Amino acid sequence: MDPWQLKPARDLGLSMAERLASTRREPGLGEALGHGLWSVAVGGMLRVWHRLTVLGREHVPVKPPFVLVANHTSHLDALVLSSLVPWRARRTLYSIAAGDVFFETPQRAFLSALLLNALPMQRRQMGRHALDDLRSRLVGDPCGFVLFPEGTRTADGQMQSFKAGLGMLVAGTGVPIVPCYLRGAFAAWPRTAKWPRPRRVEVRVGAPVSLGEVADNRDGWMQIAKATEDAVRKLGEVPAAQ
Amino acid sequence: MNETTLQRLFGWRHAFDDAATVWLIGGVVGVLVVAALAIAVLAAAGKIQGPLRSELVRRLLSWCVLAPLMLGPVLLGAAWTIGAVTVLSLLCYREFARATGLFRERLVSLLVVLGILMLMFATFDHWYALFMALIPLCVVVVAGIGVIADEPKGYIQRTALGVFAFLYFGVCFGHLGYMANDNGYRPVILLVLLSVELNDVFAYLAGKLFGHRKLMPKTSPNKTWAGAIGATVLSVLLVLWLGPMVFAGTAVNDPLYLVVLGCILSIGGQLGDLMLSAIKRDLGIKDFAATIPGHGGLLDRFDSLLLVSPAVFHYVGYLQGFGLDSQARILTGG
Repeated sequence: MDPWQLKPARDLGLSMAERLASTRREPGLGEALGHGLWSVAVGGMLRVWHRLTVLGREHVPVKPPFVLVANHTSHLDALVLSSLVPWRARRTLYSIAAGDVFFETPQRAFLSALLLNALPMQRRQMGRHALDDLRSRLVGDPCGFVLFPEGTRTADGQMQSFKAGLGMLVAGTGVPIVPCYLRGAFAAWPRTAKWPRPRRVEVRVGAPVSLGEVADNRDGWMQIAKATEDAVRKLGEVPAAQ
Repeated sequence: MNETTLQRLFGWRHAFDDAATVWLIGGVVGVLVVAALAIAVLAAAGKIQGPLRSELVRRLLSWCVLAPLMLGPVLLGAAWTIGAVTVLSLLCYREFARATGLFRERLVSLLVVLGILMLMFATFDHWYALFMALIPLCVVVVAGIGVIADEPKGYIQRTALGVFAFLYFGVCFGHLGYMANDNGYRPVILLVLLSVELNDVFAYLAGKLFGHRKLMPKTSPNKTWAGAIGATVLSVLLVLWLGPMVFAGTAVNDPLYLVVLGCILSIGGQLGDLMLSAIKRDLGIKDFAATIPGHGGLLDRFDSLLLVSPAVFHYVGYLQGFGLDSQARILTGG
């Protein structure tokens, strides 16, 4: 018989405002219900408004830990990738979002937490230990992350190079990275548009990137970023299904 | 729904019909004013300074927010009282679930929350049979539905925690709400709230003045025998003083019965406090949350009410009954 495992919430003792902007935030029943309803609505919108086509769905992991990565073209991207994950795994699925944008004010933090189930990554303080919290959650909880390694949305629709942050997060953990390529999302909701337009969106999911043994140092991080970027670009070279 | 029921549920104009209510509300305001003056005088005399002073001020300010939140619904009407108790139950359950990790068990959590909401419905409807039936039924549902997930690993733990949480935060607090089904509920609930909170103050003061021998050093290192006994004596005196006003013309208005009521309020309050301390020690946490500045979580503040509510309900219910002259099954009829 196993001893009882009483594991308090990681965010215990934080005030509501601190909790919302913390990488330790764990959603409760109320947030899960709110996020679930929102996800159903978003799923409907993606199907009707964007005629979402999913290719390679069999590559989407059913159990955490995993990291879903893609080219970052619009605010639709995180919603599309989250919608791919089976419901059972979605309760431990978090979108990693820029702390200086999505968590700048308590109101934004509230919406990011409720609608995207987002956790902050502080882009201005990226150091060796900046991602320790997220790393320990990825492996320890375990959970799934939706991450855009370009660091920001594209301005012109072209994919930019991947940053080392992804490598810092997964190097040495053996967590699978699943590459995805989004097509049509830029046309549907570019930076200049206030609301999404009714355009087709396609997402192609690839097989997990096989990394083998990668050292947890700068060379290793860059190697991971490069291998993942190549995998995503390769998915982008395949012509659109429709 | 007859006129008397409507007035009981929503009749805020009758808030101060009972002289005992006026005295009790006046007492609460008086205690807060005296506390504010005492802090001001002690601070001016240099007796309290620095962190202790700011801690006392923070606690007092928290009370100035908490007191209207606790007393307001009681004055506004029984519907508000039942609603406030339900919110308290749900928030305390939330703190407990996050502290123990039970919140990760979504199905059990959902069942406990639904159970608490059903208790609220039974209370609002004044349907005592349903209120009592929900206790075993919710236990059965949590234990039974929990099997369907087909995950035997951790079954005993999540079921036990779910049942424990429902009984404490749903049923125990639920009894406080059920008291509002009596047409003269206001003074009784106010007496419970006032004496339980003052009981904490009495224990603190008696412990500071006379405390030497520790009561339960492993559970709560700051509590002393003198504090416990002092609180019981002072609480009994308080109930002996206020009781004849609150229970005028009823069977409870007897010195012996009031002494027992005082003991229930004081000892039950202290045991509730110690029980939550034991849970916190077991979990290795200091506070349940950071909801109320200077107090911690809601559970850290309302722990004393947990055991007192059902004990007082059934004691007073045994002696005189609760809501015997009120309309029953308001919504469901029958």
